[in-house]
Amino acid sequence: MPKIIYNHADGTHDVVDAPAGTSVMRAAVTGGVAGIVGECGGQAMCATCHVYVRPERLAGLPAVSEDEDEMLDCAAAGRDSERSRLGCQLFAGEAFDEIEVDVPESQS
Amino acid sequence: MALDQELSPAHSTRSADWVRLDDLHDDPYPVYARLRDEAPVAWVPAANRYLVTRYANVHHVDNDPETFSADETGSLMKRVMGHSLLRKDGASHARERKAAGVPLRPKAVKETWTPLFRRNAERLLVEMRDAGEAELVSQFAAPYAAANLRDIIGLPEVSPEDLTAWSQAMMDGTGNYADDPTVWARSEAATQAVDDALAEALPRLRANPDDSMISAMLHAEDPLSPAEISANVKVTIGGGLNEPRDVLGVAVWALLTHPEQRTRVLTDPRLFSVVFDEAVRWTSPIGMYPRQTTREVELGGAMLPAGARLGVVVGSANRDPRQFEDPDAFDIDRPRKAHLGFGSGAHYCLGAWVAKASVGQVALPMLFDQLPGLRLSGRRPVRAGGWVFRGLLDLPVAWDH
Ligand code: FES
Repeated sequence: MPKIIYNHADGTHDVVDAPAGTSVMRAAVTGGVAGIVGECGGQAMCATCHVYVRPERLAGLPAVSEDEDEMLDCAAAGRDSERSRLGCQLFAGEAFDEIEVDVPESQS
Repeated sequence: MALDQELSPAHSTRSADWVRLDDLHDDPYPVYARLRDEAPVAWVPAANRYLVTRYANVHHVDNDPETFSADETGSLMKRVMGHSLLRKDGASHARERKAAGVPLRPKAVKETWTPLFRRNAERLLVEMRDAGEAELVSQFAAPYAAANLRDIIGLPEVSPEDLTAWSQAMMDGTGNYADDPTVWARSEAATQAVDDALAEALPRLRANPDDSMISAMLHAEDPLSPAEISANVKVTIGGGLNEPRDVLGVAVWALLTHPEQRTRVLTDPRLFSVVFDEAVRWTSPIGMYPRQTTREVELGGAMLPAGARLGVVVGSANRDPRQFEDPDAFDIDRPRKAHLGFGSGAHYCLGAWVAKASVGQVALPMLFDQLPGLRLSGRRPVRAGGWVFRGLLDLPVAWDH
């Protein structure tokens, strides 16, 4: 099963096995991972699922869409032009088999 | 936390015949607390619906639109306003949402609307400032929300007073379960007035597109029909006015009654956004919305038949101690967790960014900045009311001038 590693600012991390088709946001919300909110349920409307993808995991991810791009500019924690993504737009099995992300300190 | 683990074994649905609508109107929270504990999905005769009161169940309903449809049969909202996107599911909902949503996205809000919000707030504050006191809901929150809404929808020739009156009349219609003919007459007059305003606006915006919502619906890749535009404009007038009005009143009241939090916010105005969000959680302006089951289903330990009419009680979910610690407290320091004040899933509030900007970034900071020493005047008691929609009815304030 695809694997997602969430690194937190305090040095701890969560590892979630996500069935194919699950987004980085949905896996965190259902898996009880702190720091990812996912208020809009994955419509690229709320920016509360912002994550920083680890540089070595960026290869092969789909491009940022226009809506995602606009929303990332609204994320509470500063946007990183290379690494920032919306967790709701990255799907296990499609975008990655294993991914490691840093969870921002704040989503609002 | 898996939602399924929250569900207890099925048992027959309990009837909560002790729930009275008057109590819900005055102070719904003790009623919700009892419902959450005793019967989280309960048949409530007074509301003629099953009320869903726990966070986990509400979240589950929001995320399973195939079972819990927004397209309610016999919906009073459809009767009054026509079939808007709020009562549609799936592809037809998505299509209308996409068309209507363009001017409500964050970039448009920031670049096009926020300067306008500032102008609208400033104008009202100039009118108020010398008086030294005001009833903040009717003298600021409502006209401010109306002026903003008028500009965003694209009906600049309509007065904020008319818009407020139409909104109220239509909302009264959507809640007219008592079938009161005078309420129907008023709501029909209001919808006719909206259609008259649209008849004037549509040709103009068809010829001269602008940044407004009506223009966006007209000029979308897959343009909406006049009937679709009319229904969506009506639902926007209904919803787009009382929510920002109510959350603004609640947020001001919360700060005036929590002086320690107020002091901190005034030294760090970025916290106004947190105040806004906590106010939406604490006293959710939309307290309940309807859904209807498309099949027999178990929810929160209750068996619901196909076609069951539900009331999804966000106002209760957002005070569920299973989700929020000390949920009845207004606390800008609470750990950030998803609340359901804007709904969640496919129907997540289209106006969320407008509300965040107009209330959290513009109105709240400007009010506290330009009305020094803002406080409750004490002339009359502060009154709150409602459960389907909840907000302050009377917020008498004073300031130094
Ligand atoms: S969940 Fe809302 S933008 Fe990703």
